[in-house]
Amino acid sequence: MSAPLVQILDGNTFVVSDSSGDIEASLTDPTGLFSFDTRFLSKWVLTVNGQRLNPLSVDDLQYFETRFFLVPGTGTVYIDAKLSVIRQRAVGDGFHEELTILNHDAKPVDLVVRVEAGCDFADLFEVKDALEKKGRYYTRVKDGRLLLGYERETFKRETAISASAPARLDKNGLTFKVRVEPHGDWTTDLNVVTAHGAGGTYVRPKYTRGARRARPSMELSLERWLAEAPRLECETDALRTTYRRSLVDLAALRFSPPVAGGRSLPAAGLPWFMTMFGRDSIFTSLQALPFTPELAATTLRALGSWQGSRVDDFRDEDPGRILHEMRYGEMTAFEERPHSPYYGCADATPLYVVLLDEYERWTGDRKLVRELEHEARAALNWIDEYADLLGTGYIWYQRRNEKTGLENQCWKDSWDSISFRDGRLPGFPRATCELQGYAYDAKMRGARLARLVWKDPALADRLEKEAADLKRRFNRDFWVSDGEYFALALDPDGNKVDALASNNGHLLWSGIVEKSKAKALAGHLLGPRLFSGWGVRTLAAGEGRYNPIGYHVGTVWPFDNSFIAWGLRQYGFKEEAAEIAAGILDAAEFFQGRLPEAFGGYDRPQTKYPVQYPTACSPQAWSTGTPLLLLRTMLGLEPHGEHLVVDPALPGSIGHLELLDIPGRWGRIDAFGRGRVDVGGKRSPRR
Amino acid sequence: MTDPTAEFFGELSERGHEPLLEKASGTLRFDLVDGKRTDRWLVTVRKGDVGVSRRNMRADCVIRTNRALFDGLASGKVNMMAAVLRGAMGVEGAVELLVLFQRLFPGPPRSRSWRHTAGYARRQA
Repeated sequence: MSAPLVQILDGNTFVVSDSSGDIEASLTDPTGLFSFDTRFLSKWVLTVNGQRLNPLSVDDLQYFETRFFLVPGTGTVYIDAKLSVIRQRAVGDGFHEELTILNHDAKPVDLVVRVEAGCDFADLFEVKDALEKKGRYYTRVKDGRLLLGYERETFKRETAISASAPARLDKNGLTFKVRVEPHGDWTTDLNVVTAHGAGGTYVRPKYTRGARRARPSMELSLERWLAEAPRLECETDALRTTYRRSLVDLAALRFSPPVAGGRSLPAAGLPWFMTMFGRDSIFTSLQALPFTPELAATTLRALGSWQGSRVDDFRDEDPGRILHEMRYGEMTAFEERPHSPYYGCADATPLYVVLLDEYERWTGDRKLVRELEHEARAALNWIDEYADLLGTGYIWYQRRNEKTGLENQCWKDSWDSISFRDGRLPGFPRATCELQGYAYDAKMRGARLARLVWKDPALADRLEKEAADLKRRFNRDFWVSDGEYFALALDPDGNKVDALASNNGHLLWSGIVEKSKAKALAGHLLGPRLFSGWGVRTLAAGEGRYNPIGYHVGTVWPFDNSFIAWGLRQYGFKEEAAEIAAGILDAAEFFQGRLPEAFGGYDRPQTKYPVQYPTACSPQAWSTGTPLLLLRTMLGLEPHGEHLVVDPALPGSIGHLELLDIPGRWGRIDAFGRGRVDVGGKRSPRR
Repeated sequence: MTDPTAEFFGELSERGHEPLLEKASGTLRFDLVDGKRTDRWLVTVRKGDVGVSRRNMRADCVIRTNRALFDGLASGKVNMMAAVLRGAMGVEGAVELLVLFQRLFPGPPRSRSWRHTAGYARRQA
């Protein structure tokens, strides 16, 4: 794309246009008005007297609203601006556009204003894969509205377009014949409504002329969201910027699925992943727990409602399994894609129990733990009954949907992410190491909840026994003794997939690592093969498939690093955790506080700045959550009974840091920390 | 002739309590259209206690579809969410009740978990 793309959104409804506000999408081109994973407008082109318009400036007023200042004519150096055109657009249940034309001349001017409109009703998956449509299109002009529609059997999607000023409507758009007086103006409202779709039927867009206040679909406005989050005081502007960016982006990433009753959970990424993902929603909720615990509550409820309950090969569903991804488009509707929802991930289910326990430790909300007892038990049951494909006491994954299911069901889900040192890829099923860590943690935390809330000490005893047994076996079966780290996975014959990878950090976080082995792991994580100076690489330099710009085979993932830092702290490696936090937060400065999904694994001195890995989504939820978890890690925040323990270990570059009004079962508490050496923090309970 | 719909509701009524619905309280009415006839099934849920009747009354969630499609749901041949997205099933009212309720529909008859597939004989560690 030559022209920069402009995005505005409201939940999972969003508009991507060029910098003139025009949309001219092809099947593979990701511009248009989208809602519930369907494109509702693929053509929206404004001309004045047959001429396209040229952008002078674009103001992103708010996340749901933008304004384009335009003049007629394109491509010339000198622009004769006797006319200017303003398009102001707000998205919600379609979009509302105020079109205004100003005549700067002393003479009146007669104009033909034309808006070309059209729609291909592509499913997001079709935009990605360039597939053909199977249904029938229709276009109608009726009651002053232009209706663009698509039908396939009972499936129907329709866009309705209308204008407030007198217009001639035809099947390809709207024409206005207008006279603009000297120094006068002409204006019309254009309403584009997602009239018939998976999200319901709408008569008008959410916004009307003059409506300038956000009407979020969620309970909390951005202002209140920011006001309720803890306050950060520190000496560096950069960290303040990063913190604020994270909170604002997290607000934009809030998604309210139909089951959540107006409450919201973190979607995975803007704009293409504005939907529920088991793994992403859980990891982001964990990162944000000390800041916005309500995200975790909604995540747990919504994922619980959709928990698998039957064996379904197409969806890779099993009883107790937590979903991977939910989609609402045509291909999902006709079961050409399995996302209704799709369950093919092996980590979200144990992580569900981990989040439930961590949520209780912070908030003391035992009511929710009781409410979700059935779901948590079913998740724990899944680990043993459905995930242990080989009966060896480990979580293994292999898709049953061979056509459209996911091959790699761990967070490193690209085809070449799991490899031996020499680059060979193992067969299926695979048991990646971090899954075993999550299973261990789920059992330990499940035991705590069973004893404390569900009053089932027998279950607690059994889970603890199983966890201890798993830990013992894991430390034997996965340990690569000549390298002193854990294998990335076991292959179906039980061989160690022996590449050195960042997954070792997640193992520290889970607690499955025997104390005697932790020091070697910390050495690797901060050693030259894994640590780039900015962060820990997904795969160690020197491995067969290592590539500093390979998606999961050498890049640095901020989210990965935040959990690695947390893991290091749990094993007492405060300084190592602080070093990772410092590297990632330094990198964030280069991205104006918005960490990308991943950046290159080049050595820090080699490039001097972090090289961004090109991805379509920004912000990405778990990158957005990363600075939050790093703050928790650096301050050493840990709930202990009814109290919050603060045990800071800050990198020297950060100096003084205060996090004020941290919410939790204690009410609100402040945490202070200073410098690397000052480990003895204070805390002052309030309320 | 088998009647998967009647069997589904019959078994649900006999169970009387359904752990998967312990979080749910409310009423669901299924209007199943079969030619000119509409069969109605009313399900009342109170914290997992389930009652089934044929009464025609207001409900928190009203689901309207054709009889054949519901037979498919009741026998695991049709997926509910996909049917809703296709427009083959109309839903009005408390969607969250239906999301909890859909967990009671069986899976596709031919689907097997790996553990129950030939070739995945259990290996002991």
